[in-house]
Amino acid sequence: MLRLEKTKENRSDILSLFGEVDASNSVILDEAIQELVASGTKSLIIDGKNLEYISSAGLGVFMSYLEDFQDQEISMKICELTPRVFEVFRILGLDQLIPIYPDRAAAFAE
Amino acid sequence: MVKLPSIHIGKLSVLLAILVWLALLFVDLVRLFGIINEMDSGISDEITWILEILFFFTLYGFYNYSVGKNIQGDFVNLLWRAASTGIFATGIALITELFYISMGDSKLATEPFLKNFFYHVNFALTAIFLISSALLWKHLILYQKNKKVVQQWQTFEFAMLLAMFFVFFNKNNFDYSFLFAMVILFAIIIVLSGNLKWIPYLTFKEKWKSLLFLFLMLVCTGYLFKRLLAYGEAEIYQVNLTDNLFLMALFMFIFTYALFSFLVTLFNLPTSSVFEQKLTEAINFQRLSQSIQPDDDEEQVLDILLDSCMSASYSDGAWIEINPEGQIEGINQLRFLDEATKEELSELIKTQKSAIGWASTDQPEMLQPLLVRLEHPRYESTLLIPLVINKVAIGRMVLCKEVRDGFNKEMVNIISTFVRQACIAVENHRLLNQAIQNERYQEELKIAQRVQKALLPAKLDHPDEFDICAFSNAADEVGGDYYDTYKLDENRYVLIIGDVSGKGTSAAFHMAQMKGVFQSLIQLNLSPAQFMIKANSALGKCLERNHFITASIFLINIAEQKICHSRAGHVPTLLYKAKEAKSDYLFSDGLGLGILRNKQYENHVQEETFAYESGDILVLITDGIVEAKNQKGQQFGFERIKSLVEIHHDKSPKEIQNQLIDSLHVFVGGDGMIEDDYSMMVVKFQNSVAQTNQ
Repeated sequence: MLRLEKTKENRSDILSLFGEVDASNSVILDEAIQELVASGTKSLIIDGKNLEYISSAGLGVFMSYLEDFQDQEISMKICELTPRVFEVFRILGLDQLIPIYPDRAAAFAE
Repeated sequence: MVKLPSIHIGKLSVLLAILVWLALLFVDLVRLFGIINEMDSGISDEITWILEILFFFTLYGFYNYSVGKNIQGDFVNLLWRAASTGIFATGIALITELFYISMGDSKLATEPFLKNFFYHVNFALTAIFLISSALLWKHLILYQKNKKVVQQWQTFEFAMLLAMFFVFFNKNNFDYSFLFAMVILFAIIIVLSGNLKWIPYLTFKEKWKSLLFLFLMLVCTGYLFKRLLAYGEAEIYQVNLTDNLFLMALFMFIFTYALFSFLVTLFNLPTSSVFEQKLTEAINFQRLSQSIQPDDDEEQVLDILLDSCMSASYSDGAWIEINPEGQIEGINQLRFLDEATKEELSELIKTQKSAIGWASTDQPEMLQPLLVRLEHPRYESTLLIPLVINKVAIGRMVLCKEVRDGFNKEMVNIISTFVRQACIAVENHRLLNQAIQNERYQEELKIAQRVQKALLPAKLDHPDEFDICAFSNAADEVGGDYYDTYKLDENRYVLIIGDVSGKGTSAAFHMAQMKGVFQSLIQLNLSPAQFMIKANSALGKCLERNHFITASIFLINIAEQKICHSRAGHVPTLLYKAKEAKSDYLFSDGLGLGILRNKQYENHVQEETFAYESGDILVLITDGIVEAKNQKGQQFGFERIKSLVEIHHDKSPKEIQNQLIDSLHVFVGGDGMIEDDYSMMVVKFQNSVAQTNQ
């Protein structure tokens, strides 16, 4: 089960994830990010406070935007990941490519 | 041995009948000779009676045999057989009568022997006619028999048997006992004659024919009866053969049943078309309910449906419309209407308020047939019937009649039933096709599974210095996990494990690509870091945008007892150190293949070299094992693997692997499913010195 919530804070679009991202619902996450890109966002913060699990298919969604965001100068940050989910990002090496912050305030501070 | 020829019952009984009749004739003529010459011939009446009864029996035997053999439900044929026998007997009787009339008072006309001879001929023919007809009637009476009817018939046969011997008791006198017996037999005959179930099954034309034949039978029976009565009154025939209760009762039976049949058939004539209609409906219904064969098309069913409904309602025109989403292509069902008239009528229907509401309902399965009156010069009433398959209205059938309010409740009912049946047939046909399609897909997947299994190595390359085993399981039919070994030279071996993001068919294709890339690169003798860089650039070109691959590579040098390792975002490998009796995950920095598809990737690759000793264990895994969840949602996790390996470190790789898999299944729970592909490779280093010493 995956639930998404879109909010705006400090001129950043915040996408909060609740539940789990796996192969069956990674498309929903992809569509949500696409919508935000289409709406012209320049700063995107993914809030992972309530994200319990992310599979490789979910990671594939973030990965697929890396180059696009670089070209379009959109910043994508991730904050407040649970240790378990953070571990998944770290093993894959995505933490080297996407800045990950312990909380939202730190994400804004950058 | 002499083989007896098989007895032919038919021929035998005919022969017997003829012999008995000749004997009867002879006896009577001898008696007559005696009387004329005033001599006592010594032949009593009883002999005649016995021969007469014998004659009846042989006739009964013959006809019972031949009727039972030749009649197969064709009632008109059966009636014709009875009638033709009657006509023949009547014809002979008429000729005899004419002969005597033309003779006038000549000597020949008064010749008693000749008269007696003709009397016997007429008697025989009449008996043949009566007995054969009675047996044909039996066939009609017992059509669609039940126990009651059979009992009635048996009672009648028994009574007739008694009537045959009544002559011994009664001495051929017309007295009260004779009358009494007649009344009883007549009662039985009336009851029997109520069994006329065969008549409704005649078609209109057959009924007319039957009426003709029955009429002929009535005439013949009447005439022959009159003739026999005339014989009975004449004194010249010494022993009366015909004033016999058996024959009289047979006359009664043949006549009564023919009369009943005649009247019932006559009164059935006007309603016979209804019965025929119902029969056609039943046959149509059966045709519709026979499920369509997988190769047939649905149009055929709709074809039958339209024809059945038209004949059931006497419609003057009809068509079937299929909605665009109805999934039946190229259907053009029009009956007795041209395209222009159909359009005209469609437009007229559209103007009707009830039809508009009817067409726009959102619950098609509740839709009832709709009757509409039209202001059309020719077609004044129409009936709209929805075609609902699987709760979706795929179209409608329109029936038109030239009369106002031409559809009654019965028609609407039967048409609704037809439509439902046809829709079920179409639905079943679709389900069947779907099932066949699914089976084909299953078959394809099985092939894919087999092909993919073959992509994993059947035999793992390894020297005596280390023992190795591996295992892989896909969550679906096919998966995205991969492992392999490669022998570079006598001292250097490569181990690889890889995992494609996602699972299922797409992952399986990428896994095949991964194998191709790895197998090519491995031969280039690259360092682990260089291997990953090249693999990234090769796979970056062929992976889908949101797919990546994680991999770990180990280059084992058994001469130096060293391992060079690089990790591309893959789940860290567990290394058990025998000397320290503890294990750790090899967590070097690294990025999954295909994530960065440019030169920048090189900045994210690391290479580590470490020494190993005998008893050390490497456990290569994929994330399916780490992330396997139990019913509480907890993951199997790194720690469990670690402690299990530490506990079982002294066992062989195969045992350690089995231990891990068993624990994993126990953890996940009896019927729990591991949602991802999972694989592992276990390597245990051995003391090569110790082995050489063995």
